[in-house]
This record gives sequence, C-alpha cells and structure tokens, in this order.
Amino acid sequence: MIKQYFDKFIFFLIVLLIMFALFLQVSTVKSTDKLKTQEIKKAEYYASKIAKLIQLRTGKNIDEALKDDPLFRQHLNEALQAFLTQQYQYIFVLQKDEKGNYRFLLDGSKEDPEEYKTVFFPKSKLFDTVYMTQKMQIIEQHEHEGVEQVWLSLVYPIVNENKTEALLVLDLSESYGEYLNNFNSPLMVVVWMMQAFLLLSLILFVFLAYRYYKIRKALIIDTLTSVYKKQYLEEFFNKYRMDQYNIMLLDIDEFKVVNQKFGYESGDIVLKEFTQTLSSILSSRSIIVRIGGTEFLILSPKEEGKVEEQAKKVFDGLKEKKYLIGNEIQYLTVSMSAMSIPEETNFIQNIERLLDEKLLEVKSKGKNGLGVLGVTQLNEVRYSNIDYIKEALEEERLVCLYQPIYETQTKKIVKYEALVRLVDKDDPQKLISPFYFMNVIKGTSQYIKMSKLVLRDVFVTLHAYEDVEISVNVDLDDLDNADMMKLITSNLYENRTIANRLTFEILEQHEIKDYGKVMFYLQQLKAFGSKIAIDDFGSGYASYSYLIKLNIDILKIDGSIIQELKNTPENAKSVIRSIRELAAVFQYEVVAEFVSDKEIYDTLKELDIEYVQGYYLGEPRTIEAYLDKKD
Amino acid sequence: MYHSIFAALSPKASIAVYTNDKEYRDVFSHSKRIFLSDKLQDADIVLITDERTLNNILYWVKVNTNMEKKPIIFVTNYHFLDKSDDILGAFYWRKGRSQLLFIHDRLKEHNITLPQAYQNFMIDEL
Repeated sequence: MIKQYFDKFIFFLIVLLIMFALFLQVSTVKSTDKLKTQEIKKAEYYASKIAKLIQLRTGKNIDEALKDDPLFRQHLNEALQAFLTQQYQYIFVLQKDEKGNYRFLLDGSKEDPEEYKTVFFPKSKLFDTVYMTQKMQIIEQHEHEGVEQVWLSLVYPIVNENKTEALLVLDLSESYGEYLNNFNSPLMVVVWMMQAFLLLSLILFVFLAYRYYKIRKALIIDTLTSVYKKQYLEEFFNKYRMDQYNIMLLDIDEFKVVNQKFGYESGDIVLKEFTQTLSSILSSRSIIVRIGGTEFLILSPKEEGKVEEQAKKVFDGLKEKKYLIGNEIQYLTVSMSAMSIPEETNFIQNIERLLDEKLLEVKSKGKNGLGVLGVTQLNEVRYSNIDYIKEALEEERLVCLYQPIYETQTKKIVKYEALVRLVDKDDPQKLISPFYFMNVIKGTSQYIKMSKLVLRDVFVTLHAYEDVEISVNVDLDDLDNADMMKLITSNLYENRTIANRLTFEILEQHEIKDYGKVMFYLQQLKAFGSKIAIDDFGSGYASYSYLIKLNIDILKIDGSIIQELKNTPENAKSVIRSIRELAAVFQYEVVAEFVSDKEIYDTLKELDIEYVQGYYLGEPRTIEAYLDKKD
Repeated sequence: MYHSIFAALSPKASIAVYTNDKEYRDVFSHSKRIFLSDKLQDADIVLITDERTLNNILYWVKVNTNMEKKPIIFVTNYHFLDKSDDILGAFYWRKGRSQLLFIHDRLKEHNITLPQAYQNFMIDEL
C-alpha cells in the first residue's frame, strides 16, 4: 500500500514545494512593492511639509516674495538643502512663465544650484497637468530615456487661493530605488535557487518515472507476444480483488509441431497472432498473462459474464482461427481449464494448482477440450491455503479416521489404515481430505507437525486397544528427512512394546535411485518390530525391483488395477493372480484396496487374495465406531 | 542624439562638424552623416563644450565678419547660451535630466526652421 502511493506522494511533495517557492516569490515581490509604496508615501509627506514651509515663508505670492530678494532666495535654498539626503537627490521649485516655460525659483542643490529664473523645461505636458489639476504626480523617471540618477520624481503643486503658484519637485535618488529593489534580493536569490532546485528535481523525477516505466514494462511485458508476464500477476492482485475475476488457463496443443514444421521464427509469428486473436476475443478489462512457452492465464471480470460462457467464447474463438504460414493454413487447438475465483481467495498459487490439475485432466482426455471447475471444488480452495492449514493444526482440528482391512475368507477385521482429515473451521461435521492440503504442506514444518499429531493418535489407539493393528502412510521422501525420521523413530522407541502392531505403508513419488539407503531406513523401522507395506503396487514407480531389493512384508495392490475388474475383468484378474503368486513366492501378504462392491469382493475372494479393504467393507470412521460394531 | 539635432539644424546630406572635444570627435568619427571638419570656416556646425573654446570661437566669428556663411554654433552648457546671439541652441544635463534648448529668434536669423518634434524645446528668451 505504501509502495503504491509513494511515487504519488513524492510528486505531490515536489509540486507542493514548487507552489511554496512561487508563493515565497510573490510574497517577496509584494513585500518589495509595499516597501516602495511606504517610501513614496513618506516622500509625499515630506513634499507637503516643504511646500507648506515655502508657502509659510513666502506668503500669498511666491514670485513677489522672491523676485527682488536674493538673500531670501539664498535662505530658502539653504532650507531646501537641509532636506537633501541619500534618499532625496534633488529638491527644487519651478514656476511656469507666461510663455509656458518652466523656470527655477528655488534650488536646494549643494553644487551648482540653478539661478533664479533660468529655464528648466521649455515645455512639459506632465508639469502642465499638475499645474492644472493641482494634484501631485509621481513620475517613474527610471523608465524614461535621458534621465540619470533619478529613480522617482514627485511633482507637488504649491497652491494659493486656488491658483497654482509653483511646483515643488522632489527627486528620489536612483541609488535609493536600487536599494529598495534589492532590499529583498538575498531572499529572492534563495527563492530562485529553491525554484531551480525544485524544477531540476521535477525534471529528474519525470526522467526517473520514465526510466521506471521502461524498466517496469520490460519486466512485466512479454517482448514476443506483448501480453503480461507472470511477474505482473502479484502486482495486479495487489490492485484488484481476486474474487472479482474469472480465471482461465490454456495451453496450445502440440505447438512444437508448428515449430518443427515451419521453424521457430514462423512459430513466433503464429504465437504473436494467437495472442492478438485472444486479445480480440476478450474485453479490454481482461488481462492475458503468458506463464509458459504456450501457456496463458486469462483474467476476465466476473461482471462481464459467467465463467462457462467466457471460457467457451475463448475456446471457440481460438478454434475458428486459421493461421497462414507461407502457403499453408494451420489450425491450432487449445486445452483449457477455467474457474470463477471464489470469494476471499488470497493465494493465486492455490488457484493455479487447481487449474493445472484440471488442465492435466483435459489433456489426459485427448486435449482440445475445456474443463470448468465446479462450485464444490471452488469452495474447497480455501482448504489449500497454508494459513488455513496452519491454523487448523495449531488448534489441533485434526482427526484420524480408520478404515478396516479385512481377512477375505473370514471377513474379519485384522487391521485398520489410519487416514488423516482436517476439521472444517466453520462446520465441525465437515472433514477435509488430504487431497486439498497434503501437497501444500509437504516439505514445510506443518507437515512434521501433522505427522506428530497423527503418530500420537495412532499410538494412543494402539495403547487403548490391545488387539488392534494399524497401518500408517509414509512417503519415502519422509524417511530421507532427518526431522521426520527422528520423529518416527523416537515415537517407535517410546512405544516399543506396541510398535510391532504398526505397519508403515510406503508411498513412492519417484523412482528409487539408492536402494541401499532405503533399505537402511526400512531396517530402522523394522528394528522395532513394525511391518513394511508397499502401497499402490503395480503402478507408477512401485515396481518389481522392490521385491528383489527391499525387505518388505506386505504388498498393497494398486486401486486402479482392482477397479479394472469392472471394465476388463479377465485382464485384471490375470494381473492380480500374478501378483498373488509372486507374493506367495516371497512370502508377502497381499492386500487389495478399492473394494467398492460385492462383485469385486467375491472376485478377490475367488482369486484368493488374503486381505481386502474398501468402501464396500468399511468407510474410514473413528476407531470407536468399528470397535463398537465388533463388540 | 546629436545626429538628429544636427540633422534638424542642417538640411545637408553630409554635415561638417567642428569640435575640439576629443570625446565628441570620437563619437562623430563613426557617423555616416556627420563628418569632422578641421577648419572652422569649412564647418556647418560648431560644437563647443568648454568656455575657453567658446571665447576663442566667438572672437573668431567677430573678426571674420566677411564670411560667406556663419557656422551654426551649438553648445553643451545652458550658461553659454547668453554669451552670444550666435549660439543657436544647447544640449546639456541638469538635475539628472537631459535638456535641449533652441532660441527661437536666433534660429530665425539663420533661416532655420526646426521640425515639429522640436517645437517643445524652443524658447523665445533666456
């Protein structure tokens, strides 16, 4: 959230600082103007005082008083001189003669004062205006050519009985004007520097923003197809709520054929055209993310339609498109999975996993198909959330159910397989299958925690019921994990008196490379008297090599082989029979899983399979439920 | 400024100016219309900037009464104007302002009519 608004905040801050600098500039200019205005007012005041002084000394007719009295003129000139400061350059009194020429009456200059009645200006419209209007005028002399040393002139009328007798001219010096103009100059320099700095910062900021945009684009946009890269997903979901979108995962079927047939360059062109077609099918609010070579993730707003409709539109649209490569027309098909993202989903990984599984399902059915995840599956997405699982384990919302394993001939329970379930947070009646959470927690500390809880429950049960045997599932990778191995062996040691009633059903996710190491692990378990069963024998990696290299006790025939008794009974029977015979040679016990009805049970009985397990015989339930039944 | 003043005083396309002031000579040496004259008798306009030169030239004018054409005398000081009626005008600085003055009657004597733009700088008497 902070990261999202940081850039905006910096930009806003710079703009704010620029506005502040402008405000400072305007304030400084205003302050200078105010200072000037105050000084002019002061000069006006002086001018009025001097004019009054002259009037007082000369009486009603100024010219009459001065005309024949050089001493008096000298006296008044000296009086005017007293007002001269650095601020006031010249003070003099002019009179307009009959011809309209302005002549000096008095001059306060210290050096070369003008003589009485010498001509100053032959004509002046401005002086005429003051003469006529009898109102003081201010002349900004620095704006006029042919004027030096004078910044401002105040022309003040000396009026007697409504008649303008003369004009008092008070010149404010240029140096004083400069002083006033420069009064705030240090502050102005600071303001200018600040503005320059901020402007540079703004330019730098814009430049960095541009660079960021370019880098970001390179990071999140796929250069070939111009759609988003996977990195963008996190950013997208930081901005938008996941549950407002429908999500689709699609993979182009057999695209490598296009590459092989026409070359990678043509393949790239086709891929580009493919994404353009995809964009044209989708609305502008949808986004396309290339998550692999030919894999794309599409997010489309829920409000634009149901996921089934949106996915079908995409699927059909892509199917119809023809690609012209040279002279050949190429068709492309896609395999798609889609779902509506459930409410309050926080982790895209969970969604991706579900879509991946659905896509695999579509592909396994021959590709060129569309699979939409149903509501039930979607509601259970939250069970795949690591935080949800963590909370369940912390609250020990976990139960062990037990599915009975029967002796086929006597139909008596000989053992139970412990199966773990989480209890739903909101509905305690609802149990969550490991399908949703096991892959999520594998390899994390939560997995160890869960195993610890399961083993605790199993040993409590073994202690409680003396004639009960239990088998637990263990992944072969668990045995290679030091923490898990420590947990198992310490539990076996603590319960060593009953450890012989425990069977470990070993599950294999990949081919065993080091049989010696596996043998060592199994030996550690067998040292406590526990038995070893190979789960899902006959499929995947659970191969015949095990029979040769591993010291085991029980073979559990893979459920898919048992289910085949319904479809291809004779073939399935042959396989089952061969496993039974093989087990007999090695003296292994044989268990058949997935016994879902009486017909399968009877067949297995007929095939002389020793032990059976399945929903027909008993569902996974609490141990108490079976023991009550037994009683 | 002097170019336009002298152009107003003399109708000639090329005006010969006599002055012994070095600064003014430098200014006029770059002019296209004004050229410097080394002899008073050849000058159309005489520009005087100091009192000593003024006195000398006024004496020269007084002595050479039989001259065909009197040169126009122009000064750079207001107070020089009342030294002789032969001085037609002045351009000078006073109270920080540049001032231009022409004496109406003296222009008339020389048959000089100034353009309208200079009428405001004309006075009848000092």
